[in-house]
Amino acid sequence: VSLHRACLLLALVVLPRLLPAEEPPTGLADSAALRATVFGTPPQDLAPMPETVPLREIDMAMPWALPVPKVLWFDRRLRAWFSAQKKPAPLAIVISGTGSDGNTAKLATLRGALYGAGYQVLTLPSPTFPGFIVSTSSTGVAGDLLQDGRDLYAAMQTIIAHLPHHAPITDIDVLGYSLGGANAAVVKSIDATEGKLKIHRVVMINPPVSLFASIDRLDRLYAQSIGSGDAGLENLYRRLYTRLSNLYRASNKVQIDDTDLFAAAAGVLKTDADLSAAIALTFRLELVDVFFAGDLYARTGVVIDPLKPPGVGDSLEEIGRELRGKTFKEYFNRVFAPYYMAHRPGSTPQSLLADNRLDIIGSALRENSDYYAQTNSDDLILDESELAWLKSTLGSRIAVYDHGGHLGNLGERRQIADMLDMLAGRWQGQAR
Amino acid sequence: VRVALLAFALLVLSGCATQSVIVRQSPPEAPLTEADAPSMYTYDPWERLNRCTYRFNARFDEYVFLPVADTYRGIPEPVRSSIHNFFHNLAEIPSTANYILQLRFGGGARGVGRFVINSTLGVGGLFDVASKFKLSSEQTGFAATLSTWGVQPGPYLVVPLLGPSTLRDGVGFLADYGIEYGVNIVGLYRGDPSWGLGAVNAVDQRAAINFRYYGSGSPFEYETIRFLYVHRDLIQDEALRKVGRRKRPDTDEPAGK
Repeated sequence: VSLHRACLLLALVVLPRLLPAEEPPTGLADSAALRATVFGTPPQDLAPMPETVPLREIDMAMPWALPVPKVLWFDRRLRAWFSAQKKPAPLAIVISGTGSDGNTAKLATLRGALYGAGYQVLTLPSPTFPGFIVSTSSTGVAGDLLQDGRDLYAAMQTIIAHLPHHAPITDIDVLGYSLGGANAAVVKSIDATEGKLKIHRVVMINPPVSLFASIDRLDRLYAQSIGSGDAGLENLYRRLYTRLSNLYRASNKVQIDDTDLFAAAAGVLKTDADLSAAIALTFRLELVDVFFAGDLYARTGVVIDPLKPPGVGDSLEEIGRELRGKTFKEYFNRVFAPYYMAHRPGSTPQSLLADNRLDIIGSALRENSDYYAQTNSDDLILDESELAWLKSTLGSRIAVYDHGGHLGNLGERRQIADMLDMLAGRWQGQAR
Repeated sequence: VRVALLAFALLVLSGCATQSVIVRQSPPEAPLTEADAPSMYTYDPWERLNRCTYRFNARFDEYVFLPVADTYRGIPEPVRSSIHNFFHNLAEIPSTANYILQLRFGGGARGVGRFVINSTLGVGGLFDVASKFKLSSEQTGFAATLSTWGVQPGPYLVVPLLGPSTLRDGVGFLADYGIEYGVNIVGLYRGDPSWGLGAVNAVDQRAAINFRYYGSGSPFEYETIRFLYVHRDLIQDEALRKVGRRKRPDTDEPAGK
């Protein structure tokens, strides 16, 4: 129930915009894809899950961590979650999506399915989650596939060496959803040369092909559905506030409790533009944290004065306001590229963009039969050429579903069954 | 998703803190327009102190509250549920008083009915028998009473140990406690045992809330929680507000002022 509530509430929190009907459609994705992306898998379509899954939280400081900025003191330790089996079993490591922590509702779904299938499960935050950037990143500037992969790989080794009571690990597989899918594949390719974990199979769930192209698409979605700067957001907020308040006032209910609030929030998200705004704003708010950390660590001075960084009790309202208006392109141009160009001799903005495409491990994906992927033909983070690239690169090792948008079918019976088949090496290709 | 979780936690958190119930008495009036909506920004003149308290609460939660709540979660569910029912039953007393102050006598009668049934058939409140008689719980508090009287939420306030609040909700909390203390039902609220009882009540409430301070990892968590708390309060106010009874706040000022 809480997952469902959380999804509905997401709708409320991200302040869906109520555009008049004559506004043009976004042109970026169809209604079904947007709807699935926001609301996820309906409860009746979810794969069966075990009733209880043991879960232990792991809080660890990584020995190589950079000094922790005062304002981010609470992110000093990496937080992961582990579910142990009683008998010897393989370990499935699952990496979260962009900006997300290691215990999201989506991770809980995957954990349940994997644990039920006999795996021990370790779930990790995304390398773009602030708690990862501060505790584990060796640069503080998140979003570089290889660098993030190396940090993840090191964190995995450290955590596995200190796992609490668990049965012997017989094999290691890595999965991830969204950006986490790309991270998973890169980690395996690093392991192929270093050999410290002997990672067996990888399943990428709705991965991006070009990280920056995907986020650029979401930035456009934001510009179209919300507008620029805080004024657009403020308008959006006023619309939502009015709509929700009027729903309450018109309601004949005696008591308005949280359940009604969720229902109201869900009722507010109707048009494609509403759904687009919800999706775009969710991503933007995640980018705000990445931008903040990057600017702070790289000392690029876009919103944070490197000589006078904010302290523990300082208001961050102004900085937040500025960052909400900034696109990923700006993060790339003003923080990411300057930092990596200074640290990687010979690199250019073009080379950095190219380094953040899944093609950097294209030959491994093509030739090694232990890489798998699941995606949807209407995933809004992929365009046609990117989807075609995934298909041609992975051949029969990819399942492409005809619905679900971005992650909107995660947890569905078909998706889970295929995922488990892929991990177990039973996957025979998608029946046409 | 982080935001959703935060928001979810916050709603639960604030729900527990105020237990406010909104009752419609007047017929729907003219709908609000966007010009009526408050600013997205929140009135927070005590921000520096609030941030300090927020941080203190986070530390307290990590080192004291959460470990105790985790241990408490180890108690079998039926026992915890009875403990929860016991405190919830006692809270019918201030709730009923507030229904009367709000001139909402139906809610008051419901509270009295529930209290009588649960205190007797429910063995001193350990079992929520009244809900089985379709007399479900709908508690209110002094914060909601103030709201019906037209009092604005006032500045955002982070209360030590309790967490996000506003001046109005903080006063409401104290007043509700004052009512309980004044009534002092079967002597539970004064003397040494009251400390232990208060602690168990606090742990019971904490264990029910799925919220971790800084679980978002975000440097902007303080702002996010503040926004969600205050603006949820304001939307509830809209449902309580009656035509002509109270002045609409200036929409250009930060919300809550």
